Amino acid sequence: MAKLGIFDLAVRYGKLTAIADLSFTVAEGQRVFVSGPNGAGKSSLLSAIAGSVRTAHGRIEMDGDILSGLGPEAIARRGLSMVPEGRRIFAGLSVLENLTVGTGIRRDRGAVADDLETVFTAFPILRERARANAGALSGGQQQMLAIARALMTNPKVMLVDEPSLGLAPKVVDEVYDRLCQLQALRGLTLVIVEQSSARAARVGGRMLLMRGGRIVADGDATEFAARDLLTEAYFGGAA
Amino acid sequence: MSLQLLFDALALGGIYAIAALGIALIFGVMRLVNFAHGQFIACAVFALIVPSTDALAVLGLGALPAPVLVPLILLIGAGLAVAAEALVFRPMRNASPVALMVGSFALGVALQNLLLVLYGGRPKAVSLWAELGQPVQVGSASVPLLQLIVIAAVAVILAGLALMLRKSRLGLEMRAAAEDFTMARMLGVRSNRVISGAFALSGALAAVVALVLVAQTGVADVRMGGQIMLVAFIATVVGGMGSLSGAVAAGLGIGAASALLQAGLPADARPFRDAFLYGGVILVLLFRPQGLFAPVGAKPRV
Repeated sequence: MAKLGIFDLAVRYGKLTAIADLSFTVAEGQRVFVSGPNGAGKSSLLSAIAGSVRTAHGRIEMDGDILSGLGPEAIARRGLSMVPEGRRIFAGLSVLENLTVGTGIRRDRGAVADDLETVFTAFPILRERARANAGALSGGQQQMLAIARALMTNPKVMLVDEPSLGLAPKVVDEVYDRLCQLQALRGLTLVIVEQSSARAARVGGRMLLMRGGRIVADGDATEFAARDLLTEAYFGGAA
Repeated sequence: MSLQLLFDALALGGIYAIAALGIALIFGVMRLVNFAHGQFIACAVFALIVPSTDALAVLGLGALPAPVLVPLILLIGAGLAVAAEALVFRPMRNASPVALMVGSFALGVALQNLLLVLYGGRPKAVSLWAELGQPVQVGSASVPLLQLIVIAAVAVILAGLALMLRKSRLGLEMRAAAEDFTMARMLGVRSNRVISGAFALSGALAAVVALVLVAQTGVADVRMGGQIMLVAFIATVVGGMGSLSGAVAAGLGIGAASALLQAGLPADARPFRDAFLYGGVILVLLFRPQGLFAPVGAKPRV
């Protein structure tokens, strides 16, 4: 059974259709990049899965359970976590408090302490700045905090929306290194929105190409970079 | 400045701060300006006396000894607010902030009319803790015992609330939700729990204001929440909508300024005290339209 299944999904904002007739499944432990031009519906897709945007039609399943129609808190409780666009860290809370918000849904108190140790090991800067206001962190540190915060809910599936946005290339490298490390360590299923096909190819994984609210191509990220499918998606042409 | 004046300023400012907090707590988590807060206060006042339209008030719950009465009235305030949220605001959860605000006006009018039906429209004399009116000598000043109790109670409540927000799980979730509600939900924070919690705290704070008002004035009046609600609302705006510490600071500031003006203005100008006071408010807002302490969460996001 697929870990995550999207079937005939549609998302609309008033009369505007952001996503139409979209279907795909993700296997457990897979890493899937979602790419495409602005307005392709990438963020809407992630928001719909996480429950922060209502679906107009279709079904979203995780482990065979239907997620669509549930509120974001119920979806988080089932083991799906989101690193949203723009990071959305709680700037007025300390780093440690940011990490603690998502642990309220867990009953495994001992494992929470272990997980905190895990993310502190992966992102030592967060341990160093644990008492600092999260708003005082740099952009890259905030991205790391957003990832760590999502991990603290002990997710099985994690959605990451444009982790490279606004970060220096070197910092992006580090963010992806850690993300892949943590994925391997935790057996996570990852869905990542990433604009750069070159970046996706270097990190490796499956890639979905979106345009106009639909998936226009589905394949290995390395092939995408070679076949210029992105150019087709951005400038039209038969994809 | 005389000691007497200091106590006046602290007591008045403290009550404004508590009332402003009641509004800021709810605004913080759901961007709702709850204009029914004044009626929450009025309801808590009338909970003290037996329902009747007679001119003479008969103490019901108000006759209970203070150690029983105070927690009971706080519970009633909290319960009323939680019930109002469940019955009125929860069905409107996805409505616009403006619709929510209009809803709160409607709730306020409904509550006020309920009180009118049950208790009649005339103000009633209520003698609650009359013995607290006796003056106590503090240094050079002679201060009513009640005023000292009010100041101490406000300090305890503010400290307790700050501790609760800093240290408890609900407090953490409320602060996170105040900054970014959807993000908090995506981390598993239950919106109903956070919103009910905010309403419960707000209702309990309304009950505190009610007790102090009755003890100070000795009157139960259906309209008595309105005036303080106005001041409290202004304090939350001056403090920066959604900032709890801002609401407290501005509430204290407005109360203190009010007491200072009362004492400092020439006798001829004293009737216009509030004009001076709100003139000051306008000045503050001219220079800081976002309020003195605009919270992080109120900033526009990219």
